[in-house]
Amino acid sequence: MARGQLIFISGGVRSGKSAYAEQLVLASGALRHVYLASGLAYDEEMEVRIGQHQDDRAGQGWTTIEQPGDMAKVLAHIRGGDAVLWDCVTTWLANELYEGWEQGSPCAEQSGCMERKWRELQGTLTGMQSQVRLLVVVSNEVLDDFIRDETYQMWLGKIHRWLAAEADQAFEMENGAAYRRK
Amino acid sequence: MHIVFGGAFNGKREYVREQLGNQEVSWFEGVMPERSPLFTVIAGVEKWVKLQLETGKSEKEILESASDALLLNESSRQIWILTDINRGIVPLDPIERQQRDVVGRLYQFLFKEAASVTRIWYGIPETLKGADDDENLYKNGR
Repeated sequence: MARGQLIFISGGVRSGKSAYAEQLVLASGALRHVYLASGLAYDEEMEVRIGQHQDDRAGQGWTTIEQPGDMAKVLAHIRGGDAVLWDCVTTWLANELYEGWEQGSPCAEQSGCMERKWRELQGTLTGMQSQVRLLVVVSNEVLDDFIRDETYQMWLGKIHRWLAAEADQAFEMENGAAYRRK
Repeated sequence: MHIVFGGAFNGKREYVREQLGNQEVSWFEGVMPERSPLFTVIAGVEKWVKLQLETGKSEKEILESASDALLLNESSRQIWILTDINRGIVPLDPIERQQRDVVGRLYQFLFKEAASVTRIWYGIPETLKGADDDENLYKNGR
């Protein structure tokens, strides 16, 4: 099957990027709309927030896959011709980079750990693209500020640069308006 | 003078290096040039500003030093690589608050002086201001 379209969308908090990404998926004509969620509910507020997102998508025929890390596992649940929305890179990166933090050995501090996860992610996204009709990847703009967490920000920049290079289309969201950058 | 602007880790230096190819340039990282080589790249300006503030320089002195460096542009070519640090939360550290103010006003001055401004968004160039006809670097190839 032909390689599916990859669309990269990034924007600030509450810029409307998720809504825009959902529209793209719904308009894709795919049989199945898959919502690939990276968010983990750490507290009640997060649970409510995730529930709100789920309600927003209810009735529009979404299949939700919750996959906070270990993305390769997703491939088993993807069907040919799906339209997939992955929301979002920033959450996934935080989950993966700080995995093992409770045990005192976060991935960020183990040599080669994040490099390995990054290669796996690239493989998963490329593998997904060979099956699906459309893959929309959503992320956040957090690099126009002081460097507060250099490792995190360096990785996010690297991932975004790769996504922008690979994408068929790339959009920057500003207050509900989508600016096409590619 | 030309500006390449954008957030951290967006691929600004990589973009400039790619466009320069084999051309010989003097690259200043976090410092201002004091003489005038033929072709100059000035990067890490936001770090330079912080250093000046930490050594007790006033905003006026900092803007003057940057302006002096810019004057060298009359006999050479310059690319300034400017990192956007001004779209975040107000910093707790007073020096950083001051740094943001000075960086913002310095960038405004530099943008006004620049013949062209190219913004880099994850490696993708976008022309924000002007473009020389004979200068590849500043064409927004997409």
